[in-house]
Amino acid sequence: MEGLLEKIAYCVEFGKINKNAPYPPDMKDQDGADELTKQAIDQGINADEILKKGLVTGMEKVGIKFRENKVFVPQVLMSAKAMSTAMEHLKPFFQSGDVKRKGTFIIGTVAGDLHDIGKNLVAMMIEGNGWEVIDLGTDVKSEKFIETLRSYTGSYIGLSALLTTTMVNMEKIVKDIKSEKPDIKILIGGAPVNEEFREKIGADFYSPDPQGAVEYLNKLIA
Amino acid sequence: MRHYKIELDNLNITKSQIEKAMGFESGNSPDPFPDLIDEVLDIANTYCSIEGGYVLRDDINFDLNNHKLLVGIIDFYAKKIVINQIKKSEKIALFLCTAGPEIGEWSKKLMSEGETFKGYIIDVAGSEIVESAMDRIQNTLEEEMNDRGLNITNRYSPGYCGWNVSEQQKLFTFFPDDFCGVKLSDTSLMYPIKSVSGIIGIGKEVKRKNYPCKLCDDKNCIYRGRRFTG
Repeated sequence: MEGLLEKIAYCVEFGKINKNAPYPPDMKDQDGADELTKQAIDQGINADEILKKGLVTGMEKVGIKFRENKVFVPQVLMSAKAMSTAMEHLKPFFQSGDVKRKGTFIIGTVAGDLHDIGKNLVAMMIEGNGWEVIDLGTDVKSEKFIETLRSYTGSYIGLSALLTTTMVNMEKIVKDIKSEKPDIKILIGGAPVNEEFREKIGADFYSPDPQGAVEYLNKLIA
Repeated sequence: MRHYKIELDNLNITKSQIEKAMGFESGNSPDPFPDLIDEVLDIANTYCSIEGGYVLRDDINFDLNNHKLLVGIIDFYAKKIVINQIKKSEKIALFLCTAGPEIGEWSKKLMSEGETFKGYIIDVAGSEIVESAMDRIQNTLEEEMNDRGLNITNRYSPGYCGWNVSEQQKLFTFFPDDFCGVKLSDTSLMYPIKSVSGIIGIGKEVKRKNYPCKLCDDKNCIYRGRRFTG
């Protein structure tokens, strides 16, 4: 069992999506995250184990390598693709309640800003760590975050901005959300954002990389 | 005012250029990226409508104490880093350049369909295309100014080197409506998204530097480490 889960983790780490995927070249014609996850389920391995010891372990390794500049955005995207392909097999177990998500994370790029690659990376890394992610897309106003929070009580919020002008909108969104739900934890990120800005606008956490956000969320539920 | 239409084939965008922009060493991106980059570059010209241009103004003044540039009646609060580089200018070129809307839309479409890494490569290629097109326009401007005994500076854009991106609103007042098909949102985002705008200083006493990033401490800037002369 352990061998199979380790293989799944390895496929996610190196972006081996399925048997047909010719990449990485040293794994050509070998089963990928897709087939191995199905095999694990067929062998009766607990879906929660597959998620935690396979998919989450693989994505965590990628997140750390990305933080250390050992891999770059395209490789993280490939890992995320392998992870999401494998995750399709686990969907029925999420729906039946056999596998529980760690929690719900609502993410969006703030009003006025249309950039989404950074936001997507964070969403993929957090989803790959076992969280349910509600991605509200780009150009998201306070009202949309608040409305979504009402449907997903107990969730956490992530705000992304790429521009110095739109990071100003973060301040308004944080204030609006906190006035509605003072205890909600809000994470912020994006190129112009830093710890000093986080403190100024009253957000709860700033991370310069996706893995930091994953680690913060995991600590909140530990 | 100058206006140029540029064919992608004339920009000689290379695989190595895209690899470097994605963070890899030239020639060292792992599979499947070399093939995907080739695939994107092979058909990118059908997704590009590159154009750009500039307006030259010599009615300029500087307020060095407040780090301001005055062009006509418009004040730019361009901040210390930018003003220090252009303060000896006798003229200013205000520029705009775009790769067109198609390449950004192509990238977004693929990303939304789950082809995230190809979509990302197209996004990176779009940025390289518009920057290379603007390099070409800037080089042409430089040659023309050199013939008149003048030099040019690097180009500086609102949103970088501490210059607030909202000043883009002022910059756009110098161009005719819909110049190069580029529009500005209330939050100063340009559409098409693969567009660049800014200013270039011109004068006998100014210089174009290879690595102006040494002047700035923004470690997350997308231009950090880029070579700046053609």
